[in-house]
Amino acid sequence: MAVSQDFKVDLLGAIPSLRAFAVSLSQNADKADDLVQETLVKAWDKHESFQPGTNLKAWLFTILRNEFYSQMRKRGREVQDSDGIMTSRLAVHPAQQGQLDLKDFRTALEQLPEDQREAIILIGASGFSYEEAAEICGCAVGTIKSRVSRARARLQDILKISGEDEFGPDAIATHVIGSSAA
Amino acid sequence: MKDSTVAGGRSRAGGDPLGPNSEIGRKLKQYYDELVSDDVPDRFAQLLAQLETAEPARKKD
Repeated sequence: MAVSQDFKVDLLGAIPSLRAFAVSLSQNADKADDLVQETLVKAWDKHESFQPGTNLKAWLFTILRNEFYSQMRKRGREVQDSDGIMTSRLAVHPAQQGQLDLKDFRTALEQLPEDQREAIILIGASGFSYEEAAEICGCAVGTIKSRVSRARARLQDILKISGEDEFGPDAIATHVIGSSAA
Repeated sequence: MKDSTVAGGRSRAGGDPLGPNSEIGRKLKQYYDELVSDDVPDRFAQLLAQLETAEPARKKD
């Protein structure tokens, strides 16, 4: 069956998202565009395996992601640390009064291991649900949840943002003052 | 095509750790939206045109 015009139009429409995801994964604009090109060729070749009515963007992201990891394997994977060796190499200024610079954020994002970075991008930026992200990454929903949560904690740590949904020092101080007054 | 729509129909109201009340969530969207709004090089439209031209020769219906 020939590739339908609709499919081609949808592919074209998905390119900006694919490029954004590719840059997020590879952290390199040239590599990202090669990934997108490879993804488009693969998608074209196997368009018959796409089920119309399902999420084309998720299908394309899956292809792109597989391509990214298979290229990494071919090149001999550059090992990304999960334990903060890279973190210590790059000092990021503490966020001043919530005014966080985008450049600092980008630097912090680069320091995340790929699995955490892709999870937080898919959930926090690309607008996928946890279920969709799990399907794209070929893992369990719980795995995505834990990667997102680790990624977020790691970014907060690197960027010196205190936990936004936790009790801050004020809550403790109030408690201490309260108890000593009693 | 903007990417800020929620593909999964997931509610973002209240308690979303990456929602609009989160500094990380806001930066993440700012970072990504900037990438999405980047101009797309012509090579991709050309590539699809090439694939389309090559199609009848590669596959017989």
